[in-house]
Amino acid sequence: MRSPPWPALSRWRRWRRGWLWLLLVALFALVRWSKGAGFADAYAVLTRPFWPGSAQREWIQSGVQLEQQSKLRWLEKDNQRLRDLLDLVQSSSGVDELSAAVISRTPQGWWQQLELGKGRLHGIQPGDAVLGPGGLLGRIQSVTPITSRVRLLTSPGSQVGVWIPRTQRHGLLIGMGSRRPQMHFLDKDPQVFAGDVVSISPSSSLLPANVPVGVIQSVDYHALPAPRAAVQLIAAPEAIDWVQVQIRS
Amino acid sequence: MRRLHQQPLCVASALVVPWLTLAAPTWLTLSGVGPSWAVLWLLPWALVDGPVSGMVAGLCLGLVLDGLSLGGCSQLPALMSLGWWWGRLGRRGPPIQLSFNLGLLAWFGSCVLGLSLWLQMVWLDFANSFQIQEAWGWHTLMVQAVLTGLIAPMIVSWLLLLWRRRAPL
Repeated sequence: MRSPPWPALSRWRRWRRGWLWLLLVALFALVRWSKGAGFADAYAVLTRPFWPGSAQREWIQSGVQLEQQSKLRWLEKDNQRLRDLLDLVQSSSGVDELSAAVISRTPQGWWQQLELGKGRLHGIQPGDAVLGPGGLLGRIQSVTPITSRVRLLTSPGSQVGVWIPRTQRHGLLIGMGSRRPQMHFLDKDPQVFAGDVVSISPSSSLLPANVPVGVIQSVDYHALPAPRAAVQLIAAPEAIDWVQVQIRS
Repeated sequence: MRRLHQQPLCVASALVVPWLTLAAPTWLTLSGVGPSWAVLWLLPWALVDGPVSGMVAGLCLGLVLDGLSLGGCSQLPALMSLGWWWGRLGRRGPPIQLSFNLGLLAWFGSCVLGLSLWLQMVWLDFANSFQIQEAWGWHTLMVQAVLTGLIAPMIVSWLLLLWRRRAPL
């Protein structure tokens, strides 16, 4: 057997090959430790042209919406069952919703009202709640056979009982003619802040319970006899072409 | 020549007032408030047809417009008074036809109408008289008056010309 001509060179090659393998293992360990960083990023960059388009995103969003609607339906049923147990007078089971087109609107001015394209013949009665996307808009003031007039929450003379779900404090939402109605609290210390949501009281027998109305914009704690708050309504009557009327059966 | 109120076409033109009040064209609003269409129609009518006809027209318009609003206060007293006053102005003295004068009369009429509505609201809602402190009433009154005064030279002048041809003095 012949010995290599340069034994030192051979040792050096073996030692270098070992270090290379060691570096490779360390690299993989790093990838493992960083949960795939580098690999996943490279994959994302390379496959970006093949990502699902907007159509698939809408499809997923509609799926999520459907899931939320079914959850909401389930919660409403549960809420109804609990309200029945508590013997609360008006419940959502006795209420039908009817879509109606807005045929005339004067959200500003001396009278703040909407004119709807459905009336007494369709089952609408004075006092029915009118809802827009986002929450309560107002109540039916008068009806003709095929039209009905809505008094908006901002209109002077409009008074609706509301509460703050977070603090469970009740108050009266009074239309002042301006875009923001005022909430007059019944307590001296309502413990509310700007940003709190205002909704119809769950014990309301005239309007649908727990319907959102607006958001507190500012609170005047020094008002007498009790604090007042300016409320920004969620549903904007200026931009609504169709509304939902809750008909009491 | 028959008087203005004896001409069916002229009387029928009053139907435009409730129609425009309901339609409330948004492109003709200032800060969400539209002009007073009743004032814009009543001014030339009363100037041409006299105080009694003006007052009756104010009564009829007021009744229709009160029926189309939420209620609580009425436009009747202001429209009847304006119809009577403008009718007297039209019958006594030189005929009013300058655009500036017509604009000024419409502006003043809209102010009277707005003030009467606002006072009725304050009176009826006396318990909540804090509304007096609110700027909303003044804002609506002034915006409507300015808009009515600006539009009047165009609409009122045209109606005045048309109706004076049909019912010369």
